[in-house]
Amino acid sequence: MVKFLKPNKAVIVLQGRFAGRKAVIVRSFDDGTRDRPYGHCLVAGIGKYPKKVIRKDSAKKTAKKSRVKAFIKLVNYSHIMPTRYTLDVDLKDVVTVDALQSRDKKVTAAKETKARFEERFKTGKNRWFFSKLRTAVNCKYLVL
Amino acid sequence: MVAGKKTKKTHESINNRLALVMKSGKYTLGYKTILRSLRNSKGKLIIISNNCLPLRKSEIEYYAMLAKVGVHHFNGNNVDLGTACGKYFRVSCLSIIDPGDSDIIKTLPGEQ
Repeated sequence: MVKFLKPNKAVIVLQGRFAGRKAVIVRSFDDGTRDRPYGHCLVAGIGKYPKKVIRKDSAKKTAKKSRVKAFIKLVNYSHIMPTRYTLDVDLKDVVTVDALQSRDKKVTAAKETKARFEERFKTGKNRWFFSKLRTAVNCKYLVL
Repeated sequence: MVAGKKTKKTHESINNRLALVMKSGKYTLGYKTILRSLRNSKGKLIIISNNCLPLRKSEIEYYAMLAKVGVHHFNGNNVDLGTACGKYFRVSCLSIIDPGDSDIIKTLPGEQ
């Protein structure tokens, strides 16, 4: 009876081009809008995960491997799987529905999101969020 | 008695309570609608049959854990649960939104 699809909740996108990617809810529309008469949310997620950095990587290599590609999307609630994790990155000013109206705005918003994600990744926090989803073959139960 | 074994008496009482909910309360049947009820925090109790698909069962339990809603594993399969609901079809999972006159929400999660 607790509302859990709130901003800063980490979710997994289940459908579409970004299926299997982790994302964070920036803004939720529980009752929908005129254009989307269903519960949906604005998410910012990881398009390309940062690669594994090892000790013997040079600084240049580390920088290259720590790059994150971000995406911004409006997703139906039934196309995401909420998790028990949260990600406290302030994206409210950058990621807005307005940013999705035109391609330029979307690109700039995604670039800013990417910068914030990379910054968070480099601190070493929220490791779960920046790692690829563990896909277990023949797994009968949900492991999140 | 082995702990956790459902006696016939308590099983009947669950059925009675469920019948009362069907008559006087609000509920939804089926996987899609119960996830919807959990997402908009309307669901108060989830009941899952014992032959519900394991992945689906764990997914419903995960959602219920996030929503802090009790889950009751019904002692019977989806045919039995459908019969307990008074329906002529199978019911694998159901969500109670408003118990009406029944006290199922107060008595059940503790019992589990």
